[in-house]
Amino acid sequence: MTEFIQGPLWTIATTIFLIGVVWRITTIMSCKVSGELSRTRGTAGVGSIKAIFGRFVPRKETISSGRFQMITGYMFHLGLFALLFFAAPHVEFLKQRYLGFGWTPMPRWAFVIAAELAFAGLILLWLRRIMHPVTRLLSTLDDQLASGLTFVAMFTGCLALFESYTQLRVLHLFTVELLLIYFPFSNLMHAFTFIISRGSTGTRAGRRGV
Amino acid sequence: MTRLSAHAKGLLFAGILLIVSTLSIPVAPYLWLSFSNDTATATETQEQNPRATFWRSVRRGSSGYTAVPGQEAGVVIHGNGLNWREYRVKILAPYGSYLMAGVLIIIAMYYAMRGPINLESGYSGQSITRFSVYQRVIHWFTAILFWLLSLSGLILLYGRYVLIPLLGSKGFAITAAACKEAHNLFGPIFLLALVLLIATFIRDNLYRKGDIDWLKKGGGMFGTHASADKFNFGEKVWFWLVCILGLSVSVSGVLLDFSILGLNRTAMEIAHVIHSAAAIIFISISFGHIYLGTVGTQGTLDGMTKGSVDANWAKHHHDRWVPETGNQEAIQHPLTSNMREAPGD
Repeated sequence: MTEFIQGPLWTIATTIFLIGVVWRITTIMSCKVSGELSRTRGTAGVGSIKAIFGRFVPRKETISSGRFQMITGYMFHLGLFALLFFAAPHVEFLKQRYLGFGWTPMPRWAFVIAAELAFAGLILLWLRRIMHPVTRLLSTLDDQLASGLTFVAMFTGCLALFESYTQLRVLHLFTVELLLIYFPFSNLMHAFTFIISRGSTGTRAGRRGV
Repeated sequence: MTRLSAHAKGLLFAGILLIVSTLSIPVAPYLWLSFSNDTATATETQEQNPRATFWRSVRRGSSGYTAVPGQEAGVVIHGNGLNWREYRVKILAPYGSYLMAGVLIIIAMYYAMRGPINLESGYSGQSITRFSVYQRVIHWFTAILFWLLSLSGLILLYGRYVLIPLLGSKGFAITAAACKEAHNLFGPIFLLALVLLIATFIRDNLYRKGDIDWLKKGGGMFGTHASADKFNFGEKVWFWLVCILGLSVSVSGVLLDFSILGLNRTAMEIAHVIHSAAAIIFISISFGHIYLGTVGTQGTLDGMTKGSVDANWAKHHHDRWVPETGNQEAIQHPLTSNMREAPGD
Protein backbone atom coordinates (compact mmCIF):
# COMPACT_ATOMS: atom_id res chain seq x y z
CA MET A 1 0.00 0.00 0.00
CA THR A 2 2.77 2.42 0.98
CA GLU A 3 4.61 1.72 -2.29
CA PHE A 4 1.40 2.20 -4.26
CA ILE A 5 0.70 5.57 -2.65
CA GLN A 6 4.27 6.79 -3.06
CA GLY A 7 4.62 5.48 -6.61
CA PRO A 8 1.79 4.74 -9.05
CA LEU A 9 -0.93 6.70 -7.24
CA TRP A 10 1.24 9.80 -7.11
CA THR A 11 1.88 9.49 -10.87
CA ILE A 12 -1.83 8.99 -11.56
CA ALA A 13 -2.83 11.93 -9.34
CA THR A 14 -0.32 14.37 -10.83
CA THR A 15 -1.23 13.26 -14.36
CA ILE A 16 -4.95 13.85 -13.72
CA PHE A 17 -4.11 17.16 -12.10
CA LEU A 18 -1.94 18.39 -14.97
CA ILE A 19 -4.18 17.18 -17.80
CA GLY A 20 -7.27 18.45 -15.99
CA VAL A 21 -5.85 21.89 -15.33
CA VAL A 22 -4.59 22.28 -18.91
CA TRP A 23 -7.94 21.07 -20.25
CA ARG A 24 -9.92 23.50 -18.08
CA ILE A 25 -7.70 26.45 -18.96
CA THR A 26 -7.78 25.57 -22.67
CA THR A 27 -11.56 25.34 -22.55
CA ILE A 28 -11.84 28.77 -20.96
CA MET A 29 -9.31 30.36 -23.29
CA SER A 30 -11.02 28.96 -26.37
CA CYS A 31 -14.36 30.54 -25.44
CA LYS A 32 -15.44 33.11 -27.97
CA VAL A 33 -15.43 36.62 -26.63
CA SER A 34 -17.51 39.29 -28.30
CA GLY A 35 -15.40 41.85 -30.15
CA GLU A 36 -14.58 45.23 -28.69
CA LEU A 37 -16.54 47.79 -30.67
CA SER A 38 -15.50 50.94 -28.87
CA ARG A 39 -12.51 53.04 -29.91
CA THR A 40 -9.30 52.02 -28.18
CA ARG A 41 -8.42 54.64 -25.59
CA GLY A 42 -5.73 52.85 -23.56
CA THR A 43 -3.31 49.93 -23.41
CA ALA A 44 -4.81 46.48 -22.94
CA GLY A 45 -1.58 44.95 -21.59
CA VAL A 46 -1.13 47.57 -18.89
CA GLY A 47 -4.76 47.19 -17.84
CA SER A 48 -4.33 43.44 -17.64
CA ILE A 49 -1.19 43.62 -15.49
CA LYS A 50 -2.79 46.25 -13.27
CA ALA A 51 -5.84 44.08 -12.71
CA ILE A 52 -3.89 40.88 -12.03
CA PHE A 53 -1.58 42.41 -9.44
CA GLY A 54 -3.56 45.43 -8.30
CA ARG A 55 -6.44 43.32 -7.06
CA PHE A 56 -4.24 41.64 -4.50
CA VAL A 57 -4.65 44.90 -2.62
CA PRO A 58 -8.04 45.08 -0.89
CA ARG A 59 -10.43 47.79 -2.03
CA LYS A 60 -11.70 50.38 0.39
CA GLU A 61 -15.25 49.04 0.14
CA THR A 62 -14.07 45.53 1.06
CA ILE A 63 -12.17 46.79 4.09
CA SER A 64 -15.29 48.34 5.56
CA SER A 65 -18.02 45.85 4.66
CA GLY A 66 -16.23 42.51 4.33
CA ARG A 67 -13.47 42.90 6.89
CA PHE A 68 -13.89 39.43 8.38
CA GLN A 69 -13.67 37.60 5.03
CA MET A 70 -10.85 39.84 3.88
CA ILE A 71 -8.66 39.23 6.94
CA THR A 72 -9.36 35.51 7.17
CA GLY A 73 -9.02 35.16 3.40
CA TYR A 74 -5.57 36.72 3.44
CA MET A 75 -4.59 34.65 6.48
CA PHE A 76 -5.50 31.41 4.76
CA HIS A 77 -4.16 32.11 1.27
CA LEU A 78 -0.86 33.68 2.35
CA GLY A 79 -0.33 30.95 4.96
CA LEU A 80 -1.06 28.19 2.47
CA PHE A 81 1.17 29.76 -0.20
CA ALA A 82 4.06 29.97 2.26
CA LEU A 83 3.53 26.38 3.41
CA LEU A 84 3.23 25.03 -0.10
CA PHE A 85 6.35 26.60 -1.54
CA PHE A 86 8.58 27.38 1.43
CA ALA A 87 8.08 24.57 3.95
CA ALA A 88 11.38 22.68 4.20
CA PRO A 89 9.92 19.20 3.42
CA HIS A 90 8.13 20.58 0.34
CA VAL A 91 11.23 22.32 -0.99
CA GLU A 92 13.20 19.10 -0.51
CA PHE A 93 10.47 17.04 -2.18
CA LEU A 94 10.35 19.28 -5.26
CA LYS A 95 14.15 19.34 -5.44
CA GLN A 96 14.59 15.58 -5.23
CA ARG A 97 11.61 14.54 -7.31
CA TYR A 98 11.28 17.15 -10.06
CA LEU A 99 13.53 20.17 -10.20
CA GLY A 100 16.98 19.07 -9.15
CA PHE A 101 17.46 22.36 -7.37
CA GLY A 102 15.92 23.95 -4.32
CA TRP A 103 15.65 27.27 -2.55
CA THR A 104 15.99 28.48 1.00
CA PRO A 105 13.08 27.14 3.01
CA MET A 106 11.33 29.00 5.81
CA PRO A 107 12.82 28.77 9.29
CA ARG A 108 10.77 26.75 11.77
CA TRP A 109 9.25 29.79 13.48
CA ALA A 110 8.03 31.14 10.14
CA PHE A 111 6.61 27.72 9.29
CA VAL A 112 4.68 27.65 12.57
CA ILE A 113 3.27 31.15 11.98
CA ALA A 114 2.29 30.30 8.39
CA ALA A 115 0.58 27.09 9.53
CA GLU A 116 -1.27 28.87 12.34
CA LEU A 117 -2.50 31.56 9.94
CA ALA A 118 -3.57 29.07 7.30
CA PHE A 119 -5.47 26.83 9.74
CA ALA A 120 -7.13 29.69 11.58
CA GLY A 121 -8.13 31.34 8.29
CA LEU A 122 -9.51 28.14 6.78
CA ILE A 123 -11.57 27.16 9.84
CA LEU A 124 -12.98 30.67 10.25
CA LEU A 125 -13.86 30.95 6.56
CA TRP A 126 -15.54 27.55 6.57
CA LEU A 127 -17.51 28.39 9.72
CA ARG A 128 -18.71 31.62 8.19
CA ARG A 129 -19.68 29.74 5.06
CA ILE A 130 -21.99 27.44 7.01
CA MET A 131 -23.17 30.02 9.55
CA HIS A 132 -24.08 32.92 7.30
CA PRO A 133 -27.47 32.25 5.72
CA VAL A 134 -26.51 33.70 2.33
CA THR A 135 -23.16 31.96 1.94
CA ARG A 136 -24.74 28.75 3.23
CA LEU A 137 -27.38 28.99 0.53
CA LEU A 138 -24.82 29.76 -2.17
CA SER A 139 -22.40 27.03 -1.15
CA THR A 140 -22.47 23.80 -3.08
CA LEU A 141 -21.26 20.32 -2.24
CA ASP A 142 -18.16 21.17 -4.29
CA ASP A 143 -17.34 24.08 -1.98
CA GLN A 144 -17.68 21.90 1.10
CA LEU A 145 -15.62 19.09 -0.43
CA ALA A 146 -12.90 21.51 -1.54
CA SER A 147 -12.68 23.06 1.94
CA GLY A 148 -12.73 19.63 3.59
CA LEU A 149 -10.05 18.11 1.37
CA THR A 150 -7.82 21.16 1.76
CA PHE A 151 -8.19 20.98 5.54
CA VAL A 152 -7.47 17.26 5.62
CA ALA A 153 -4.38 17.65 3.42
CA MET A 154 -3.08 20.47 5.63
CA PHE A 155 -3.95 18.58 8.81
CA THR A 156 -2.16 15.39 7.80
CA GLY A 157 0.78 17.55 6.76
CA CYS A 158 0.95 19.00 10.24
CA LEU A 159 0.76 15.51 11.76
CA ALA A 160 3.72 14.46 9.65
CA LEU A 161 5.70 17.58 10.43
CA PHE A 162 8.73 15.92 11.96
CA GLU A 163 8.63 12.97 9.53
CA SER A 164 9.15 10.71 12.51
CA TYR A 165 7.01 7.95 10.99
CA THR A 166 6.70 6.90 7.37
CA GLN A 167 3.01 6.12 7.90
CA LEU A 168 2.22 9.76 8.72
CA ARG A 169 4.12 11.04 5.69
CA VAL A 170 2.37 8.52 3.44
CA LEU A 171 -1.01 9.53 4.91
CA HIS A 172 -0.24 13.14 4.03
CA LEU A 173 0.84 12.13 0.53
CA PHE A 174 -2.40 10.16 0.09
CA THR A 175 -4.63 13.10 1.07
CA VAL A 176 -2.64 15.39 -1.23
CA GLU A 177 -3.18 12.90 -4.05
CA LEU A 178 -6.93 12.96 -3.41
CA LEU A 179 -6.80 16.74 -3.51
CA LEU A 180 -4.83 16.74 -6.78
CA ILE A 181 -7.32 14.35 -8.40
CA TYR A 182 -10.26 16.46 -7.28
CA PHE A 183 -8.65 19.79 -8.06
CA PRO A 184 -9.35 20.23 -11.81
CA PHE A 185 -13.03 19.35 -11.42
CA SER A 186 -13.71 21.78 -8.63
CA ASN A 187 -13.79 25.43 -7.64
CA LEU A 188 -10.20 24.99 -6.48
CA MET A 189 -9.34 25.81 -10.10
CA HIS A 190 -9.60 29.45 -9.03
CA ALA A 191 -5.94 29.06 -8.06
CA PHE A 192 -5.26 29.29 -11.81
CA THR A 193 -8.35 30.89 -13.29
CA PHE A 194 -8.12 34.04 -11.16
CA ILE A 195 -5.31 35.13 -13.49
CA ILE A 196 -7.49 34.62 -16.55
CA SER A 197 -10.53 36.37 -15.12
CA ARG A 198 -8.58 39.31 -13.74
CA GLY A 199 -6.52 39.52 -16.94
CA SER A 200 -9.62 39.47 -19.11
CA THR A 201 -11.38 42.15 -17.10
CA GLY A 202 -8.19 44.22 -16.93
CA THR A 203 -7.66 43.94 -20.69
CA ARG A 204 -11.13 45.29 -21.44
CA ALA A 205 -10.77 48.04 -18.89
CA GLY A 206 -7.31 48.91 -20.23
CA ARG A 207 -8.54 49.21 -23.83
CA ARG A 208 -11.31 51.48 -22.70
CA GLY A 209 -8.86 53.57 -20.73
CA VAL A 210 -10.65 52.96 -17.44
CA MET B 1 -10.82 63.99 31.91
CA THR B 2 -14.22 62.44 31.52
CA ARG B 3 -15.53 60.11 34.20
CA LEU B 4 -15.79 56.47 33.29
CA SER B 5 -19.32 55.14 32.94
CA ALA B 6 -20.46 52.30 35.19
CA HIS B 7 -20.29 49.95 32.24
CA ALA B 8 -16.73 50.97 31.38
CA LYS B 9 -15.75 50.58 35.03
CA GLY B 10 -17.25 47.14 35.03
CA LEU B 11 -15.30 46.21 31.91
CA LEU B 12 -12.09 47.61 33.39
CA PHE B 13 -12.59 45.77 36.67
CA ALA B 14 -13.36 42.53 34.86
CA GLY B 15 -10.27 42.91 32.70
CA ILE B 16 -8.02 43.56 35.71
CA LEU B 17 -9.56 40.63 37.60
CA LEU B 18 -8.99 38.36 34.63
CA ILE B 19 -5.36 39.38 34.21
CA VAL B 20 -4.60 39.07 37.94
CA SER B 21 -6.28 35.65 38.14
CA THR B 22 -4.47 34.38 35.08
CA LEU B 23 -1.10 35.61 36.25
CA SER B 24 -1.48 34.50 39.86
CA ILE B 25 -2.27 30.86 39.05
CA PRO B 26 1.10 30.17 37.39
CA VAL B 27 2.90 31.95 40.24
CA ALA B 28 1.43 29.75 42.96
CA PRO B 29 3.54 26.63 42.27
CA TYR B 30 6.71 28.77 42.21
CA LEU B 31 5.90 29.99 45.71
CA TRP B 32 5.17 26.47 46.83
CA LEU B 33 8.42 25.13 45.38
CA SER B 34 10.38 27.97 46.86
CA PHE B 35 8.84 27.35 50.28
CA SER B 36 9.38 23.60 50.15
CA ASN B 37 13.05 24.08 49.13
CA ASP B 38 13.60 26.42 52.06
CA THR B 39 12.03 23.92 54.40
CA ALA B 40 14.17 21.13 53.01
CA THR B 41 17.31 23.22 53.48
CA ALA B 42 16.36 24.13 57.02
CA THR B 43 15.75 20.54 58.09
CA GLU B 44 18.90 19.22 56.46
CA THR B 45 21.16 17.59 58.95
CA GLN B 46 24.88 18.05 58.75
CA GLU B 47 26.37 15.14 56.88
CA GLN B 48 29.74 13.76 57.84
CA ASN B 49 30.22 11.47 54.85
CA PRO B 50 31.61 13.53 51.93
CA ARG B 51 30.53 10.91 49.36
CA ALA B 52 26.97 11.01 50.69
CA THR B 53 27.04 14.80 50.64
CA PHE B 54 28.31 14.81 47.07
CA TRP B 55 25.73 12.28 45.95
CA ARG B 56 22.96 14.22 47.67
CA SER B 57 24.10 17.34 45.87
CA VAL B 58 24.04 15.57 42.51
CA ARG B 59 20.70 14.01 43.32
CA ARG B 60 19.25 17.43 44.04
CA GLY B 61 20.28 18.70 40.64
CA SER B 62 23.41 20.70 41.34
CA SER B 63 25.28 21.69 38.21
CA GLY B 64 28.84 20.63 37.42
CA TYR B 65 31.28 21.37 34.62
CA THR B 66 30.54 20.20 31.09
CA ALA B 67 31.92 21.08 27.67
CA VAL B 68 28.46 20.56 26.18
CA PRO B 69 26.70 23.88 25.61
CA GLY B 70 23.06 24.30 26.52
CA GLN B 71 20.80 25.13 29.41
CA GLU B 72 21.23 22.78 32.40
CA ALA B 73 23.71 20.66 30.40
CA GLY B 74 25.85 20.33 33.53
CA VAL B 75 23.05 18.78 35.59
CA VAL B 76 23.40 15.01 35.92
CA ILE B 77 20.17 14.30 37.75
CA HIS B 78 17.17 16.56 37.56
CA GLY B 79 15.58 16.07 40.96
CA ASN B 80 12.22 17.62 40.24
CA GLY B 81 11.80 15.39 37.20
CA LEU B 82 10.90 12.47 39.42
CA ASN B 83 8.37 14.57 41.32
CA TRP B 84 6.83 15.67 38.04
CA ARG B 85 6.65 12.07 36.82
CA GLU B 86 5.03 10.98 40.07
CA TYR B 87 2.50 13.78 39.73
CA ARG B 88 1.68 12.84 36.14
CA VAL B 89 1.35 9.11 36.74
CA LYS B 90 -0.02 8.96 40.28
CA ILE B 91 -2.09 12.13 40.61
CA LEU B 92 -2.99 13.67 37.27
CA ALA B 93 -3.91 10.54 35.32
CA PRO B 94 -6.03 8.73 37.93
CA TYR B 95 -7.67 11.72 39.63
CA GLY B 96 -8.22 13.40 36.27
CA SER B 97 -10.09 10.36 35.02
CA TYR B 98 -12.12 10.20 38.26
CA LEU B 99 -13.09 13.84 37.87
CA MET B 100 -14.16 13.54 34.24
CA ALA B 101 -16.01 10.27 34.83
CA GLY B 102 -17.61 11.72 37.97
CA VAL B 103 -18.97 14.73 36.11
CA LEU B 104 -20.34 12.50 33.36
CA ILE B 105 -22.01 10.23 35.92
CA ILE B 106 -23.59 13.21 37.73
CA ILE B 107 -24.92 14.55 34.41
CA ALA B 108 -26.29 11.12 33.47
CA MET B 109 -27.96 10.75 36.88
CA TYR B 110 -29.46 14.23 36.65
CA TYR B 111 -30.76 13.48 33.17
CA ALA B 112 -32.23 10.17 34.34
CA MET B 113 -34.01 11.82 37.27
CA ARG B 114 -35.02 15.19 35.82
CA GLY B 115 -34.90 14.63 32.07
CA PRO B 116 -34.53 17.56 29.68
CA ILE B 117 -35.90 20.98 30.62
CA ASN B 118 -38.70 21.33 28.09
CA LEU B 119 -40.57 24.44 27.09
CA GLU B 120 -43.75 24.48 29.20
CA SER B 121 -45.77 26.21 26.51
CA GLY B 122 -44.07 24.55 23.53
CA TYR B 123 -42.65 26.34 20.51
CA SER B 124 -44.40 29.56 19.55
CA GLY B 125 -43.12 29.55 15.99
CA GLN B 126 -41.78 33.07 16.44
CA SER B 127 -38.06 33.56 16.65
CA ILE B 128 -35.81 36.10 18.31
CA THR B 129 -32.25 36.71 17.15
CA ARG B 130 -29.87 35.67 19.92
CA PHE B 131 -26.42 35.51 18.37
CA SER B 132 -24.98 37.21 15.29
CA VAL B 133 -23.09 35.28 12.62
CA TYR B 134 -19.79 36.61 13.96
CA GLN B 135 -20.60 35.54 17.54
CA ARG B 136 -21.51 32.04 16.40
CA VAL B 137 -18.42 31.74 14.21
CA ILE B 138 -16.18 32.71 17.13
CA HIS B 139 -18.00 30.31 19.49
CA TRP B 140 -17.65 27.33 17.14
CA PHE B 141 -14.09 28.29 16.23
CA THR B 142 -13.17 28.04 19.91
CA ALA B 143 -15.25 24.88 20.39
CA ILE B 144 -13.66 23.06 17.43
CA LEU B 145 -10.16 23.91 18.63
CA PHE B 146 -11.07 23.02 22.21
CA TRP B 147 -12.12 19.52 21.20
CA LEU B 148 -9.20 19.00 18.83
CA LEU B 149 -6.85 19.93 21.67
CA SER B 150 -8.79 18.00 24.31
CA LEU B 151 -8.84 14.84 22.25
CA SER B 152 -5.17 15.01 21.32
CA GLY B 153 -4.22 15.93 24.90
CA LEU B 154 -6.23 13.10 26.41
CA ILE B 155 -4.67 10.65 23.95
CA LEU B 156 -1.23 11.81 25.06
CA LEU B 157 -2.19 11.38 28.73
CA TYR B 158 -4.27 8.21 28.65
CA GLY B 159 -3.29 6.68 25.30
CA ARG B 160 -0.87 4.19 26.80
CA TYR B 161 -3.65 2.72 28.93
CA VAL B 162 -6.44 2.85 26.36
CA LEU B 163 -4.89 2.71 22.90
CA ILE B 164 -1.96 0.31 23.30
CA PRO B 165 -4.33 -2.64 23.84
CA LEU B 166 -6.22 -1.59 20.70
CA LEU B 167 -3.47 -0.39 18.36
CA GLY B 168 -0.35 -2.02 19.75
CA SER B 169 2.80 -0.18 20.80
CA LYS B 170 3.77 0.89 17.27
CA GLY B 171 0.27 2.06 16.44
CA PHE B 172 0.09 4.07 19.64
CA ALA B 173 3.53 5.56 19.02
CA ILE B 174 2.41 6.84 15.60
CA THR B 175 -0.89 8.14 17.01
CA ALA B 176 0.87 9.86 19.90
CA ALA B 177 3.42 11.49 17.57
CA ALA B 178 0.59 12.76 15.36
CA CYS B 179 -1.37 14.03 18.37
CA LYS B 180 1.66 15.84 19.75
CA GLU B 181 2.17 17.68 16.47
CA ALA B 182 -1.52 18.58 16.19
CA HIS B 183 -1.66 19.65 19.84
CA ASN B 184 1.39 21.89 19.48
CA LEU B 185 0.15 23.45 16.25
CA PHE B 186 -3.45 24.12 17.25
CA GLY B 187 -2.59 25.35 20.75
CA PRO B 188 -1.58 28.90 19.76
CA ILE B 189 -4.65 29.15 17.50
CA PHE B 190 -6.78 28.34 20.54
CA LEU B 191 -5.21 31.30 22.34
CA LEU B 192 -6.26 33.53 19.43
CA ALA B 193 -9.76 32.03 19.50
CA LEU B 194 -10.00 32.57 23.22
CA VAL B 195 -9.03 36.23 22.99
CA LEU B 196 -11.65 36.75 20.26
CA LEU B 197 -14.24 34.89 22.34
CA ILE B 198 -13.55 36.97 25.44
CA ALA B 199 -13.69 40.22 23.48
CA THR B 200 -16.95 39.16 21.82
CA PHE B 201 -18.89 37.99 24.86
CA ILE B 202 -17.45 39.86 27.84
CA ARG B 203 -19.98 42.70 27.78
CA ASP B 204 -22.99 40.47 28.36
CA ASN B 205 -21.21 38.40 31.00
CA LEU B 206 -20.58 41.08 33.58
CA TYR B 207 -22.43 40.73 36.88
CA ARG B 208 -25.86 42.33 36.85
CA LYS B 209 -28.48 42.87 39.48
CA GLY B 210 -30.66 39.81 39.76
CA ASP B 211 -27.95 37.22 39.06
CA ILE B 212 -27.89 36.16 42.72
CA ASP B 213 -31.68 35.68 42.69
CA TRP B 214 -31.22 33.32 39.76
CA LEU B 215 -28.66 31.39 41.81
CA LYS B 216 -30.93 31.23 44.87
CA LYS B 217 -33.62 29.62 42.72
CA GLY B 218 -31.16 27.00 41.50
CA GLY B 219 -31.28 28.38 37.99
CA GLY B 220 -34.79 27.00 37.54
CA MET B 221 -33.43 23.47 37.37
CA PHE B 222 -35.54 22.27 40.27
CA GLY B 223 -38.97 23.48 39.26
CA THR B 224 -39.17 27.18 40.19
CA HIS B 225 -38.79 29.79 37.48
CA ALA B 226 -35.61 31.90 37.60
CA SER B 227 -35.42 35.21 35.76
CA ALA B 228 -32.28 35.99 33.79
CA ASP B 229 -30.72 38.47 31.40
CA LYS B 230 -29.20 37.52 28.06
CA PHE B 231 -26.89 35.21 29.99
CA ASN B 232 -27.91 33.73 33.32
CA PHE B 233 -25.56 33.54 36.29
CA GLY B 234 -24.54 29.96 35.45
CA GLU B 235 -23.59 30.94 31.93
CA LYS B 236 -21.64 33.89 33.29
CA VAL B 237 -19.73 31.63 35.68
CA TRP B 238 -18.94 29.32 32.76
CA PHE B 239 -17.72 32.32 30.74
CA TRP B 240 -15.34 33.43 33.49
CA LEU B 241 -14.11 29.88 34.00
CA VAL B 242 -13.42 29.71 30.28
CA CYS B 243 -11.44 32.94 30.59
CA ILE B 244 -9.38 31.87 33.61
CA LEU B 245 -8.90 28.19 32.78
CA GLY B 246 -8.54 28.87 29.07
CA LEU B 247 -5.89 31.52 29.52
CA SER B 248 -4.04 29.38 32.09
CA VAL B 249 -4.05 26.42 29.70
CA SER B 250 -3.09 28.56 26.73
CA VAL B 251 -0.29 30.57 28.34
CA SER B 252 1.26 27.51 29.99
CA GLY B 253 0.82 25.61 26.71
CA VAL B 254 2.62 28.27 24.71
CA LEU B 255 5.50 28.14 27.23
CA LEU B 256 5.70 24.37 26.73
CA ASP B 257 5.33 24.65 22.98
CA PHE B 258 8.08 27.13 22.30
CA SER B 259 11.32 25.96 23.83
CA ILE B 260 12.98 29.03 22.28
CA LEU B 261 11.55 30.99 25.21
CA GLY B 262 14.44 29.54 27.21
CA LEU B 263 12.65 28.06 30.20
CA ASN B 264 14.52 25.53 32.29
CA ARG B 265 13.14 22.09 33.04
CA THR B 266 11.64 22.99 36.40
CA ALA B 267 9.73 25.87 34.84
CA MET B 268 8.55 23.56 32.05
CA GLU B 269 7.38 21.03 34.61
CA ILE B 270 5.47 23.69 36.52
CA ALA B 271 3.95 24.88 33.25
CA HIS B 272 2.91 21.29 32.52
CA VAL B 273 1.36 20.86 35.97
CA ILE B 274 -0.74 23.99 35.46
CA HIS B 275 -1.52 23.09 31.86
CA SER B 276 -2.71 19.56 32.57
CA ALA B 277 -4.63 20.32 35.78
CA ALA B 278 -6.42 23.32 34.25
CA ALA B 279 -7.17 21.32 31.09
CA ILE B 280 -8.73 18.40 33.00
CA ILE B 281 -10.93 20.79 35.02
CA PHE B 282 -11.81 22.68 31.83
CA ILE B 283 -12.82 19.49 30.01
CA SER B 284 -14.84 18.24 32.99
CA ILE B 285 -16.84 21.47 33.30
CA SER B 286 -17.34 21.63 29.54
CA PHE B 287 -19.41 18.43 29.77
CA GLY B 288 -21.98 20.38 31.75
CA HIS B 289 -21.96 23.22 29.21
CA ILE B 290 -22.43 20.79 26.34
CA TYR B 291 -25.20 18.93 28.15
CA LEU B 292 -27.17 22.09 28.95
CA GLY B 293 -26.61 23.49 25.48
CA THR B 294 -27.85 20.38 23.68
CA VAL B 295 -30.03 17.62 25.17
CA GLY B 296 -30.42 19.20 28.62
CA THR B 297 -32.50 22.21 27.61
CA GLN B 298 -34.97 22.12 24.76
CA GLY B 299 -34.39 24.80 22.14
CA THR B 300 -31.07 26.12 23.45
CA LEU B 301 -28.89 24.79 20.66
CA ASP B 302 -30.83 26.79 18.06
CA GLY B 303 -29.24 29.98 19.37
CA MET B 304 -25.77 28.79 18.42
CA THR B 305 -26.70 26.96 15.21
CA LYS B 306 -29.43 29.08 13.62
CA GLY B 307 -28.66 32.27 15.49
CA SER B 308 -32.23 32.67 16.70
CA VAL B 309 -34.31 31.11 19.47
CA ASP B 310 -37.99 30.56 19.89
CA ALA B 311 -39.81 33.42 21.62
CA ASN B 312 -41.19 31.04 24.26
CA TRP B 313 -37.70 29.76 24.99
CA ALA B 314 -36.48 33.33 25.44
CA LYS B 315 -39.38 34.18 27.77
CA HIS B 316 -38.87 30.99 29.76
CA HIS B 317 -35.09 31.18 30.26
CA HIS B 318 -34.13 34.81 29.69
CA ASP B 319 -37.23 36.84 30.41
CA ARG B 320 -35.32 39.99 31.41
CA TRP B 321 -33.51 39.91 28.07
CA VAL B 322 -36.66 39.71 25.92
CA PRO B 323 -37.68 43.39 26.32
CA GLU B 324 -34.16 44.39 25.18
CA THR B 325 -34.70 42.58 21.88
CA GLY B 326 -37.45 44.99 20.80
CA ASN B 327 -40.20 43.91 18.48
CA GLN B 328 -38.23 41.24 16.68
CA GLU B 329 -40.88 38.62 16.62
CA ALA B 330 -42.35 40.10 13.48
CA ILE B 331 -39.17 39.23 11.58
CA GLN B 332 -39.61 35.77 10.25
CA HIS B 333 -37.73 35.56 6.97
CA PRO B 334 -35.26 32.69 7.31
CA LEU B 335 -32.54 34.50 5.38
CA THR B 336 -32.70 37.84 7.09
CA SER B 337 -33.75 36.90 10.61
CA ASN B 338 -30.30 35.82 11.77
CA MET B 339 -28.25 38.20 9.64
CA ARG B 340 -29.17 41.03 11.94
CA GLU B 341 -26.97 41.94 14.81
CA ALA B 342 -28.02 40.18 17.97
CA PRO B 343 -29.68 42.50 20.48
CA GLY B 344 -27.27 44.03 22.86
CA ASP B 345 -24.35 43.82 20.41
